[in-house]
Amino acid sequence: MIFRAVEDADLIRKAQRGDVEGFNLLISRWEKRVFNYLLRILQNREDALDLSQDVFLKAYQNLRKLEDPDRFAAWLFRIAHNEAYSLFRKRKPEGEPDAEQHSGQSVNVGGSGVFPIELSIAVSSALGRLTSDQRETVVLKVYQGFKFEEIAEILSCPISTVKSRLYTALDLLKTDLSPLKARGAV
Amino acid sequence: MSCSPFDLRDYFFGELPEESRRQVDLHTKGCAACREELNSLRSTQAILLSVPDEEIPQRIGFVSDRVYEPSRLLRWWRAFWGSAPRLGFASAAMLSVAIIVSAIHRPVPVTPVAVDVAKLQADFSRQVGEAVEKAVAESDARHERRTAELLTTATHRFEAKLMADKAAAFQNLAIMDKYALRDYRASMFPEGSR
Repeated sequence: MIFRAVEDADLIRKAQRGDVEGFNLLISRWEKRVFNYLLRILQNREDALDLSQDVFLKAYQNLRKLEDPDRFAAWLFRIAHNEAYSLFRKRKPEGEPDAEQHSGQSVNVGGSGVFPIELSIAVSSALGRLTSDQRETVVLKVYQGFKFEEIAEILSCPISTVKSRLYTALDLLKTDLSPLKARGAV
Repeated sequence: MSCSPFDLRDYFFGELPEESRRQVDLHTKGCAACREELNSLRSTQAILLSVPDEEIPQRIGFVSDRVYEPSRLLRWWRAFWGSAPRLGFASAAMLSVAIIVSAIHRPVPVTPVAVDVAKLQADFSRQVGEAVEKAVAESDARHERRTAELLTTATHRFEAKLMADKAAAFQNLAIMDKYALRDYRASMFPEGSR
């Protein structure tokens, strides 16, 4: 008997054949990442959780259209991105979600028990001051670790745009977070 | 502004090819400004990552309900329509079949022919004339054969009748000879003289 790890591709193929348990196992591997991606760009836990469920429901309904299991991550986050922007449009039909909606508030991402609350608030505030496009690019690159090519696929834009958004955002974050660096937060 | 041969931020995020990475490695060893830039990027990333991912407050899971599950046929159908290669293959197959059927049942091209009415009429008249001549000839031949047959039959009958008459005449002559001889004898030799 040969043992090998069950890979995402195996679970995807099972789910494509209608195996719900296989898909549930796939969800258990990805739900935390999708939830945190949505939480960081929406900055609202309830919305992030609701949308996470919608994302996986849509993923199950459309999984048969996914031809290359290796592209599952980008495909899944593309669904999450669309769901998030659909919510943005519902909340603010005219004009894109922007930094102003977060400028007066700061959502404490990461909880307050493990890390200093001040650091958490500062990071959330700094991310909140970015435009939604910049914030999403930072989340996808820094927190989710996607390659530029994958981010371009998720956001449906050229790689040059991804890099431009990310590097502009990093410059802003460097400035915003410099007081924390000076105080030796890291 | 960085003096690195490649964008330090691409290098930092691991987006450079191996050869370019090596060049930046070499460069940063001797360039304090670029090392400082890299350190700045590292510390910014470290601060961002100091706020870790949260656990999802409620696990997501689906329950299979056969009532709402699509049938096997419907799943196959949806998978068929959802798959571009399958659709492409089916389309190509249908196109191939259509081409083959079309090639087999292709109608023979009709080339327009110039019709010479006068020639047609002449041909028609000639053919009718030939047919009438042939029919008349056949009819004449038939009548000649019939006449010949009737003539032959009549000749045979006439000859037979002639023979019969001859025979009857000879018979009558013989009888007459006999009676004449008897009368002669009777006249020459009366009954008392014998």
